Amino acid sequence: MAQHYTEYLAANVLNEQQLISYRSLSRALKVHSNLAKQMLFEFHNKQNSKKPGTVHATYLITGTKRQTKSSQANGTETRDDDDTVMQSSPPFPGSSAPVHDEDEEEVPTVVRSVMLVKEEQLEKAKATFDSIIGIHVYSLQAKGLSDTQALTECNRKIATSYASEDPQEVWKQYGTIQNPNAKRRTTRGVPLQKVASKAVPAPKVIPPTTAKQPSTFGKAAPKPQTSSRPISKASTPEPASKPPAAKKDASALFKSFAKTKPKAKQEESQGSGTTSQDTKDEPMGGFSDDEDEFNDDGVIDEIETKMPAGKSKKERAADLEAMMDQEDEPMEDAPEPVVDDAAENAIDKPEAPPEPQETVTVQNGRRRGRRRVMKKKTVKDEDGYLVTKEEAAWESFSEDEPAPKKLKPTTTNAKSGGGPKKATKIGQGNIMNFFGKK
Amino acid sequence: MAIQQDPSALLSAPPSTKQSNHACLTRTSTSYTPLHTFALPKGAERQYQQQYADMYFSRLAMLKPAIEKQALDAWGSFTLGGETARRVERVLDVRQGDLCWVIGTCYMEMPLKPNVLDDISKEHWIAAPPPRATYGATGGRAGEAMLEDESGRLRLTGSFLDSCMLVTGAIIAVLGTENKDGDFEALDLRLPDLAPQPERWEGVEGKLAMEGEKGKIAIVSGLGISGDEGDALALDVLMEYLLGEAATEEDQKTIATVSRLIIAGDALANASPIPSREEVLATKKAGNAAHNRKYGYDSSSYNAAPTDRLDTFLATLLPSIPITILPGIHDPTSTSLPQQPLHAALLPHSRAYMQPPGSTTPSWLDSTTNPAEFICSGLRFLGTGGQPIEDIAKYILPSTTTSTTTTPESRLEIIESTLRWRLTAPTAPDTLPCYPFQEGDAFVINHCPHVYIVGNQPRFETRLIHGPDGQSVRLIAVPRFKVTGELVLLDLESLVPELVRFEV
Repeated sequence: MAQHYTEYLAANVLNEQQLISYRSLSRALKVHSNLAKQMLFEFHNKQNSKKPGTVHATYLITGTKRQTKSSQANGTETRDDDDTVMQSSPPFPGSSAPVHDEDEEEVPTVVRSVMLVKEEQLEKAKATFDSIIGIHVYSLQAKGLSDTQALTECNRKIATSYASEDPQEVWKQYGTIQNPNAKRRTTRGVPLQKVASKAVPAPKVIPPTTAKQPSTFGKAAPKPQTSSRPISKASTPEPASKPPAAKKDASALFKSFAKTKPKAKQEESQGSGTTSQDTKDEPMGGFSDDEDEFNDDGVIDEIETKMPAGKSKKERAADLEAMMDQEDEPMEDAPEPVVDDAAENAIDKPEAPPEPQETVTVQNGRRRGRRRVMKKKTVKDEDGYLVTKEEAAWESFSEDEPAPKKLKPTTTNAKSGGGPKKATKIGQGNIMNFFGKK
Repeated sequence: MAIQQDPSALLSAPPSTKQSNHACLTRTSTSYTPLHTFALPKGAERQYQQQYADMYFSRLAMLKPAIEKQALDAWGSFTLGGETARRVERVLDVRQGDLCWVIGTCYMEMPLKPNVLDDISKEHWIAAPPPRATYGATGGRAGEAMLEDESGRLRLTGSFLDSCMLVTGAIIAVLGTENKDGDFEALDLRLPDLAPQPERWEGVEGKLAMEGEKGKIAIVSGLGISGDEGDALALDVLMEYLLGEAATEEDQKTIATVSRLIIAGDALANASPIPSREEVLATKKAGNAAHNRKYGYDSSSYNAAPTDRLDTFLATLLPSIPITILPGIHDPTSTSLPQQPLHAALLPHSRAYMQPPGSTTPSWLDSTTNPAEFICSGLRFLGTGGQPIEDIAKYILPSTTTSTTTTPESRLEIIESTLRWRLTAPTAPDTLPCYPFQEGDAFVINHCPHVYIVGNQPRFETRLIHGPDGQSVRLIAVPRFKVTGELVLLDLESLVPELVRFEV
C-alpha cells in the first residue's frame, strides 16, 4: 500500500512532471480523498527531506478570516427606520406602517474562507486567518507552480478519464458525500456521440473482477441491435473482444476508446441499413424543437440509480462477454442493449388490427395516407434481457416525411432501396458533431 | 459545537493499514416542490400580439383590494383642519382643494429613461451613448412622478415624495389635495405591503414526515463561466467543496448538511443569444466581417466551451447534490422576463437528471424560470436573477438616497420595496422587457415568500423584514461568484445565512 502510492507519485510527479492533486490521486488509487491528502503530504515530506525543493505543494486552508473588509461586506449596517417609504415615519395618526425592530439588529454573518495557496505563501496566508479549521495539501508538482490556474488541468483530466464511472457506485470510495436519493434516468439511443463514447467502453474495459462497476450507463449503452443481424457481423462484436488484454493502463485505454468509438458507430449505422438510421434520426427532431424539451420521451426510461446488487451482474457480464466472442453465430438471445426508437409511441401500441392495404390520398399537393413500416419493439424476456424484435406496424404519414419506404415484412435487404437517401441522412445525423467536444 | 479537531490532522502520514478511518458521509435531504408560477405557454400559444396596457390594468385590479385595506386602516378617520379625508375612486375625479386619497399606478418620467424614438435615432449616430447607470439627470430631482389609472393621469408633487422610493409600475395610494396648478400635493403614501404568508409546510403533503428536516441550502449566482482558462480554478474548488472532497473532515460534515444548490442566474457569461444594440452596431461598423452572419450572429465563431464547462460542472455535482438553476441576463434563453428555463439540450450530460416535462416528480436538476418560486423544506422561496432590482436601481439617484448609513449601492432597500409593492418586477414592461401577460400579471406576489433570493448583486447583504400580519421574510442579495468568490449557505431552521469565500 505504502509502496504503491509512493511509486505512483514518484512516477507521475518526479518523472513525468505532472500536476497531481489529491483528487487525481484518489481516483488513480481508488482511495478516500482524505487519505489521498495524507499521502500527498507524506510524499512531499519524504522527498523534501531527502532533497529539499524537489516537490512543491499547494495547500487548501479553511477557516475564518480576520474581519477586515468583510464587516463592510456582510450587510450588517444599521439603518434608520425613517429612511424609506415603507416605514415612513408616520406624520399622521393611524399609520400602520410596520416598524423595524432596532433590537433585532442582526448578528454579523459568519464568513468562512477557503483559500488555495502555494507553498511559499503558506505562512503569510495562515497569518491572515483568525482561526484555522483545517489545512491540507491540495496538489503536488515537481517545479514551482507559476500559475495556480493550471491546477484546473487535474480536474479536467478526471472529468475525461473517469467519465465512465458510475458516480453512485464508485464515488463512495473517494469520500464524496453520497446522496441515495439522486434520481437519474437513462436516455437510450441518444444521438450524442459524447454520451455514446462515454457509455460504451465502460462495461467492456472493466475486468469482471472489479466489483460493482457496470453501471446504468453500461446497460443503456446504445449499441445498435446489429449484433442480432448476421449481415453486419463485421463491426459489432469486435470491440468487445479486445479490451481484457490491457487491464492495467485503463486511462489510456479509455481515451483511445473515446476517440475510436464514434467512428465504429458510424460504420455500424452504415452497415445496418435503415433501421438503425431512424434510431439515430428520431431523437434529433426532439432536439431541434425549441419548445418540447423531450420529444423523445418514448425512449427515455426512468430508473432509480440504485442498481441491483452486484453479484449476479458479474456473472451476467461474464456471460455477455462469452457471447460476444462467438462472432459468427446468429445470437437469438443475445442481450440486446436497447435502442428503441420511437417504436413505443402511441401508433403501434394499440396493435391495431392490420388494415389490408396501404392507402395514399393526394390533397392540395400533399400526400397523406397510411403505410406499413417495420418498427422495433423491445421486450424484456424471462432472464431480464431486453430483446428487440421487428414488427410490422401501421403509421400515417404526410408529405413532408421521407417518401414511404415500402418494406416487405420479411426482407432485410431494404437498404438497397434506400441507398442514396441514406447517405444524406447520415450527414444530418452527424450534425451532432457540431455540439460535441472539439 | 463539535470537538475542535486538530487543524493539521490531514498533514500527517497516512495510517499504515489500508482500512482508513475516513468516513463516507451521506447528504441530508429535504423536500422540494417547484411552483410553476412563471411558466409561459408553449409554442403557438405564446403570443406577442397583446398590448402591455392589459398588464397595468390587471395589476391595478389585483392589488387594489390590498392597498385599499392598507389605506383605510391608515386614513379612514384622518382629518386635517376639520376636513375628513375622502376616498376618490378615479384619478380624474379629484377636485381641487379637496382632501382625499386615490389609488393608481405610479409612472416616473425621467430624463434619461430609454425611449423608443431615441432607439431609432441612435442608429444614425456616430457614437451611441453608453448604457445608462441611472435614468435620472445627475444632480437634479429623480424625475416627475405621476399617478395613473384607467381614467387619466395626475402629476404628484410635494416634498414628501423626496423621501419615497417610487418607480414606474408600482401601485400606490396617495393622500393629499390638488393645488392650483392642478398638481396633487402628496402628504402620505401607502403600499400594498407584504402579501399574506402561508405557514411553513402549509399545503405540503407529508407534513408530519418532513417536520424533522434540518440542514442548509447553498446559493450561488453569477458563476460567469466563460470558457477561459483564467477563471476556472475557483469554480473547481467550489465544486470540490460542495462534493465534500476538499477541506477537512469538519468542513465536510458541515457541507454534508447542505441539501440543495441554487444557482441564481448568470451561470454563463456572454451567452445571451441576442446581442445588444451596441454590439450589433459595432459589428456593422466592422464591415467586412459581416458576410457570414445573420442578425449579428456569427455561426463560425460559436464557442461551445462555456456550456460544456457548465454541463461538466453540473454533472459532477448532481450525483451528490440536487440543483435548481435559474437563468440570468447573460444566459442562453429568452431575454424578456419571465425568462424561460435553460433548455435541456444545452446540458447533454446533466439532462439525465432532469425529468421529462409533464412528469409530476420534481427534477433532480431543476431548470426553472427566472423569476422562480419553489417550496423547499416547507419554506416558500422566491428567487430572481437580479434584473428587476438592477433596473429599479437605475431609478434611484445616488444623491437622493436619504439614508446616511446605507451606501448607494445597497440593494436591500430596493429588494424590500419590491416585496412591499407586491411586485417581483414593477418596472416591467416600462424599462424591463417582459412577456405581455393577458390574464393577470404574473409578477404580482400573491403569497409572500419566506426567503427572497436576488442574484447577481454587487455584494452580499441580508436582512430579515417583517410585515403587518406577522410575516417575516429573509432577504438575501447574492453576489456574483465570479467577482467575489462567495457562496451563501442558508440554514433552513434559523434562516441565518453564512458566507463561504473562495480565494485562489
